[in-house]
Amino acid sequence: MSEFFTGLRREMRFACKQKTLLGLWLATLILSAFAVWTGLAEVSKQQRTISELLVADNNERESVLAEQSDFGLAAYYTFHLTYNPPSNLAFAALGERDTYPWKHRVRMLALEGQIYESDTPNPELAQAGRVDYAFVLSFLVPLFIILLLYDLQASERKANRFDLLTATATKPEQLWLLRILVRVSTLCFCLLLPLWVAMSFSGTNLSTQLIVSLLSLAYVLFWTILCAWIMTKDHEPPRLASTLMGIWLLLCAIIPVGGHLLIKQGVEGPNGGDVVLLQREAVNDAWDLSKQKTMSDFVTAHPEWKDHIEMKSQFEWKWYYAMQQVGDMKASELSYGYRNAIKRRDKLAGIVSLISPPMLVQRQLTRLAKTDAKAALRYEQEVRDYHTQLRHFYYPLLFKEQEFHPDKLNKLPEFISY
Amino acid sequence: MKIILSIVREEWRYWMRSKLAVSVLLIAIILSCASVIVTVFNIQAATDERTHLQEEARNTFLNQPDRHPHRMVHYGHYLFRAPSPLAALDPGVDAYTGTSIFLEGHRQNSAMFSQQQQSAGLTRFVNLTPAFVIQVFAPLLLTLIGYSVITREKESRTLDNLLVQGLPPLAILTAKVAALFLAGIVVLMPLMLGSLATLFWGESLGMILSFWFAYLLYVGIWCLLITLVSCFVKQGNTSFSLSIGAWIILCVLLPRLSSSTASATVDAPGKLLIDFAVIQQMRKLGDGHNAADPAFEQLRKNVLAQYGADNIEDLPINFRGVVAKHSEAQLTEVLNTFAEERMQSELQQATVARLFGWLSPVIAIRSASHTLAGSGLETHHRFLREAERTRFDFVQSLNDVHAEKLTYDDDVNRNNSEEAGNRARVSSDNWQVLQDFHFTPDNPAERLSKSFPSLIQLMFWFLSLYFVSLFAGRKLI
Repeated sequence: MSEFFTGLRREMRFACKQKTLLGLWLATLILSAFAVWTGLAEVSKQQRTISELLVADNNERESVLAEQSDFGLAAYYTFHLTYNPPSNLAFAALGERDTYPWKHRVRMLALEGQIYESDTPNPELAQAGRVDYAFVLSFLVPLFIILLLYDLQASERKANRFDLLTATATKPEQLWLLRILVRVSTLCFCLLLPLWVAMSFSGTNLSTQLIVSLLSLAYVLFWTILCAWIMTKDHEPPRLASTLMGIWLLLCAIIPVGGHLLIKQGVEGPNGGDVVLLQREAVNDAWDLSKQKTMSDFVTAHPEWKDHIEMKSQFEWKWYYAMQQVGDMKASELSYGYRNAIKRRDKLAGIVSLISPPMLVQRQLTRLAKTDAKAALRYEQEVRDYHTQLRHFYYPLLFKEQEFHPDKLNKLPEFISY
Repeated sequence: MKIILSIVREEWRYWMRSKLAVSVLLIAIILSCASVIVTVFNIQAATDERTHLQEEARNTFLNQPDRHPHRMVHYGHYLFRAPSPLAALDPGVDAYTGTSIFLEGHRQNSAMFSQQQQSAGLTRFVNLTPAFVIQVFAPLLLTLIGYSVITREKESRTLDNLLVQGLPPLAILTAKVAALFLAGIVVLMPLMLGSLATLFWGESLGMILSFWFAYLLYVGIWCLLITLVSCFVKQGNTSFSLSIGAWIILCVLLPRLSSSTASATVDAPGKLLIDFAVIQQMRKLGDGHNAADPAFEQLRKNVLAQYGADNIEDLPINFRGVVAKHSEAQLTEVLNTFAEERMQSELQQATVARLFGWLSPVIAIRSASHTLAGSGLETHHRFLREAERTRFDFVQSLNDVHAEKLTYDDDVNRNNSEEAGNRARVSSDNWQVLQDFHFTPDNPAERLSKSFPSLIQLMFWFLSLYFVSLFAGRKLI
């Protein structure tokens, strides 16, 4: 055992004299630190936005409600903020938060007309992408491992030391193992150190910290084994490296893009625009239909109001909101199909990622960080649930034609994010 | 010249015998061809779909029954952004912005349904567009083929032989760059041919040639860079590591760094936050649905004075329509101020990001390519502006109909009975106010002048490397 440690110390000393190695380790450290830092900055920006929005939303609602004298108008003019706060691991994998909305302001009108609005960030910057830990780990770390290991044996062969080394070492395998261990474990340390600091800083729970670390180590191990296997072949070092680069290209780019094309062809879902269009037509046609028709469609979903649908004038708020809900109901099948297609695509992407470790590790990270499509869909469901609560709150006030009193609006449901 | 040609031939003979170089070239050609075919088909399908949807949206609007004109203001209209012809090779921001926009009265909606949402996260870091393949993958593949163009000769000591025969070092260098550039052209070929095909979809030849020029310059930059690295170091290993390092930094890292820096330095508040400021401003303007709003007192006096009437009931026009029009104009001014501010801050961010083009040719070619293809941020902004103009036009035309073709009396009594409701409608012939909408890319001269800064950056890269190589030629000896 002590022989092992002397060996380790010796190899460490050797390694520390090689500028390329030191450079690669330093680059990993700097990159990982930068990725983690920009991730933290982005997350704190999102949190700041949410808290600013919460204050503004509250003030706005209070001032609007203060002027109302009628429940229908109150419901029409008050918006409610819903949001999906970033998790305490989101900084490491910003994931789909750029593409799917994480904040909405909704009101009592038909939800299908509101929920697809998105507050998209600058498209030119979104196209360039971001540097987060998931990107550094899944994309760059393999390249660094390749650069660290590809000429481990071949360079010794080239310098005609290879035979001497294997002949004089008591256990030649151990010598190579030690060298790999020194190079890769230092890399891991440089990679994980900034992450650990950031995770403890942002209060990630210990089990998640452990899982993320193990995931990173397992991924590094995969590339190390791959490199170690290719490395033993007796070829020119750059040729070995090129083979490895080819594998990198295949796993990181060609399989994901190919998978994307297959999934796009394979999963047919309704066009998002169709959902909105159908909802708009339904709501607009309702103005020309007989009011009783809309009301009877409405009571199929809400039989509890069947005794309150008589109308005294051509315009009543209860009819107006019933018509909005009927619009949602008509679009609900398409809307469900739309969401279902996203779900199916996500599931298939999961299957594709089984043959592409970089994708697999990204998906695991975004899952843990709750920044994937699943989390986005879950937030959308939360918004839908909240909107239903709003309806349940206002319907008794509107259908029972209760006398307006501002105090009755004190119990407006509040959005609670999980 | 003869010498140069023979060195080029020799280099290619060497590559053709090397399994590695052949397979790398094959991968490059396959990737490049596949990207062109897939993207051209995708964008064509998108163009057809959007043109069709646009036609359909217009028809449904025109075929609406007789209605109260203000109902049509809320019924609204959809616009779709058709991609430019060259977007088939560089879709640019197309996938990252919504491609359809809903126009209605009193609101400016954002574009909805970006395609990126449909990608299931697999294309978060890579893309299979011809532009991406050439901008990011081609340099990597050229590096794998060309890292040893000179180090190989140094290591096998054949370089000395060449020099001893009296070959000028600069000729050797030129030949090596030319050989690599030829490989680059092979990879670039699908993109060049593909862009030629856009002639049939109405792209101008000048634009296509500028597009070629930018990409040839870009490939030239990488050929020079790779050869120079190979020229300055002694060993193949080192030149390999250095070139790959340069690729990681220039193609992978700096583009992301540029966007992170841009979003960190220029603050662009999201739409929701801006909306609060908009609401605050709009509240001062009064509610255009309510003609009795005190905010319209002055307007009422003016209109009464203009027609010499004492009461709004006596006016020959419908005062409610006048108020709707007046308030829409005021409100649009507010909305446009904020929309313009938001676009400006996005542009500022883009400007910061594009400054990184001095540090990395990838960033320069990316914005040059976007702009030339007409698929960049500025084009999207123009789409938003044109959409807004269309929105304002049709809403105001409907408000004119509201003021002129519907009497005040019928209008205020519309909710009294079903019959009164029917009286408060105007004929569907009035829906013809909707203008036809065709989104077309900027004209070639404008695109060329907008891409100038990025083209200058590319020229800067090319010329600096060219001068270094003049110096490096002497260094070979």
